[in-house]
Amino acid sequence: MTSVTKSATGFLPRARFQQLIDLLVEDGRTVIGPKVADGAIVYGELRSVADLPKGMGAEQRPGAYHLHDRGDDRLFAYAVGPTSWKRFVFPPTLDTAESRRDENGHVSFGRVRHEIPKLAFLGVRACELAALGIEDRVFLGGPYTDEDYRARRSSAFIVAVQCAEPASTCFCASMGTGPGVRDGHDLSLVELADGFLVSPGSPAGSALFERLDLIDAATDQLTAASDQLVSARDRIGDPIVAAGLHDRLLAQLDSPRWAEIAERCLACTNCTMSCPTCFCTSASQRSDLDGHVAVTERRWESCFTKGFSAVALGGNFRPRVQDRYRQWLTHKFASWIDQFGTSGCVGCGRCIAWCPAGIDIREELNHIAPPPQAALGNGHAPEGQPRATRVFRVDAARSETHDTVTLALSRPEGMDWASEHGEFVMVSVPAVGSVPISISRRLPTGMELTIRAVGPASTMLTGLEHGAEVGLSAPLGRGWPIEAAEGHDVVIVGGGMGLPPLRPVIDEIVEHRAKYGEVHIYHGARTPGDLLYTQELAAWAARGDLDVGVTVDRADQHWLGRVGIVTHLFDHARWDGSKAVAFVCGPQRMIQATINTLASHGITPDRVFVSMERHMECGVGLCGHCQMGPYFVCKDGPVFSLAQLGDAFGREGI
Amino acid sequence: MARATTTPRPRLAVVKLASCDGCQLMLLDLEDHLLAIAERVDIVEFPEATSHRSSGPYDVVLVEGAVSTPEQLEQIHEIRREAKLLVTIGACATAGGIQAMRNWRDHDAFRAAVYAHPEYIESLATARPVADYVKVDAELRGCPINAEQLLEFLTALLTGRRPNLPDEAVCAACKRAGRVCVMVSQGIPCLGPVTMTGCGALCPGFDRGCYGCFGPREQANVTSLSRGFMHLGRTPAQAGRLFAGFTGYAEPFRDVITELGGVPGTSPAETPPAAGAVAPAAPVAPATPAAAGTAPHPGGRR
Repeated sequence: MTSVTKSATGFLPRARFQQLIDLLVEDGRTVIGPKVADGAIVYGELRSVADLPKGMGAEQRPGAYHLHDRGDDRLFAYAVGPTSWKRFVFPPTLDTAESRRDENGHVSFGRVRHEIPKLAFLGVRACELAALGIEDRVFLGGPYTDEDYRARRSSAFIVAVQCAEPASTCFCASMGTGPGVRDGHDLSLVELADGFLVSPGSPAGSALFERLDLIDAATDQLTAASDQLVSARDRIGDPIVAAGLHDRLLAQLDSPRWAEIAERCLACTNCTMSCPTCFCTSASQRSDLDGHVAVTERRWESCFTKGFSAVALGGNFRPRVQDRYRQWLTHKFASWIDQFGTSGCVGCGRCIAWCPAGIDIREELNHIAPPPQAALGNGHAPEGQPRATRVFRVDAARSETHDTVTLALSRPEGMDWASEHGEFVMVSVPAVGSVPISISRRLPTGMELTIRAVGPASTMLTGLEHGAEVGLSAPLGRGWPIEAAEGHDVVIVGGGMGLPPLRPVIDEIVEHRAKYGEVHIYHGARTPGDLLYTQELAAWAARGDLDVGVTVDRADQHWLGRVGIVTHLFDHARWDGSKAVAFVCGPQRMIQATINTLASHGITPDRVFVSMERHMECGVGLCGHCQMGPYFVCKDGPVFSLAQLGDAFGREGI
Repeated sequence: MARATTTPRPRLAVVKLASCDGCQLMLLDLEDHLLAIAERVDIVEFPEATSHRSSGPYDVVLVEGAVSTPEQLEQIHEIRREAKLLVTIGACATAGGIQAMRNWRDHDAFRAAVYAHPEYIESLATARPVADYVKVDAELRGCPINAEQLLEFLTALLTGRRPNLPDEAVCAACKRAGRVCVMVSQGIPCLGPVTMTGCGALCPGFDRGCYGCFGPREQANVTSLSRGFMHLGRTPAQAGRLFAGFTGYAEPFRDVITELGGVPGTSPAETPPAAGAVAPAAPVAPATPAAAGTAPHPGGRR
């Protein structure tokens, strides 16, 4: 009757398709695949072949999706629908962490581990395999990794299906991801009129392949499969030229088209939510009424939402919809390549069909960056680690100003502190959340953090007293490249809360004074009452080998010092900047004014280092919030040289 | 230790202006948490739950309803003076609600049409959101408000953190929930893209377009969305009318309604067909100005 074939391709007659589902179920898997719901073909649990969209086709255009009856028996004769597989490996909402605070103020932090369902994905298309490969790079590329993703991803069995009926919105051929299934699957299918060609793609796939009642594939069936693929590719065409798109697009950051798109764009988030690779998330706290037990819930977030790029005190780096559209498009097609070595777009067309305003990304790309292919490497997933939160104890709390406090925190016993480098830490308070705080001094026992009360979390932190416990991440991000200043003169400019992150630099200079040339330290604050570290500033000045200048924007009746913005301290200074390295931190406008003055002293952009502020949620490059051009400010920064930032510095809406 | 936990219980009052009481009922709807809340908050005024009245000052006042009468106007100023934190709850308090439909039309004509003795009725020419008169510290949107958001607000208040009240489109919640866009797949006009989330995308889950109960989100692009409605076959007046629901008086819904001629209370001849219907259907518009409040909704099955 039938024979089990050992060749690489077998044929499964249409009438036996249920067997594939049965075997997957027999292996303890829940089968997820295409089914009709709410006027579309979505992915959901399948129990039988009867759940598949038999004879259904889907017409897709910008902003429109319509099902129709094809009048045949085909089970996979449509292109991808609104659901993407990311939902099953990267859930839309997920409890990720738990924190507790007991009656005595002891705090504890832990990860929430979920039972990982054993799934089989049936009907995964070539573009979707590519999308999973991209997500692997994002979540598993390291150094920090998403272990929940790893578990879900590695437990899923993937049955790919060759596309035969692409939609008008498809452009996988342009992105080099399809329509042909190449790798990343366990088993692949090609649907023909009377059944399916089946090929294994992995050892697990081979094992299942052997258990199927297959018959030998006939030559004409192999020819039909090949013709079907050629026809699909011809219909998709090559609507955009991906080669060189990175540079073409980044050269058009000032295109007037961004504003025109924003007139149509609803900033509704449908494109990012339906995109199979968009990975941004936000986290919020859910607690009992007393805040004793709290869960951190992570949810899909979108760069189209205003709050995504908001920072403290009402600031926002991407206030306009045009800024957000530009961020999305340039990230997808350009900076993603800088970050992950691959484009962030697979050409599935979901963002085109599911845009209620019908914006066609292909048309916009061709308009903004008219025409040359990003090479897709193989996904890699080296070992990484999730971000851990450890409990630190407040040893001392010292008031700096009316709203600013320096906390001395001691590390937990046994922690290998000497090897921990980084510029900032994520500080977590149960039921309140996490905030990024720069390290203002490294201590053998831990660190100091200088915190200004600007929001609920920072206000709570400034209220901590001796003995209180808080959660801290490992030190994160790239800090000040102090080694670049050895043998050079050093100019340190800290505006307001910009001084605390610079204090470790000053500490290093003080400790190894002979390594550096002339050292100038400038600090500006709004009022005399806002000046930080006043005793330390006086002590540094008293050494005689550090030039210390202090100024305030507005004096009071007791102030006898300088008044004016911080650059007034060295506008007319006589030092020669051609041998100097500068470290600058403060509000964006202060940084801008400072670098202009530094340039007038002859300090070139490669020797000016600045610390950038952005909205940070995760601190390890996984949530997407803090992007600035090609960089994640949290892991690539926050300290950058001006030369490194180039055009991105000071550009509106980046 | 870190924080004093023995602070006195915050005094909370619930007051109503022109409203249906539905929003304050949501507080009672927090059944499982009600006792715990009552232990931690001193609920000193809550007409739906107790006839006991207490005077201010209050730590938190939840205000329901629009300012619709001269008496309410006086009352809201009084509440503001007595409240440390004034929180408006619901579409009426935050956007004017259904009663704000009258703001487009002749107030006296409405009054004469509805009441046998209009001379006994004291009302302002317009029904307006509370923020038009006094400073508001926080808003809970919706018609009615969402019980989970209310609980989140109270929890954040008690634990001292910022409440998680996302200002994103309904679409974001809709897509997280795995719903299929009714506008794209079924051609049903939906206010989701311009409406603030908070309901969990309830209506699209039932194959209906969003009614906009939670009001406009930040930077709501109503111009582009109304063009989309016209693209689905609506006339400009019909497209404008789709915005004229519970929060129609809130900017920028108000502008697009006026601009496209979708003003509520138009005569049957000018009235759009049932919203959501693909083919023109029998008018459902009010025959008299009195029924002007029954705004058509953008949803509806095919």
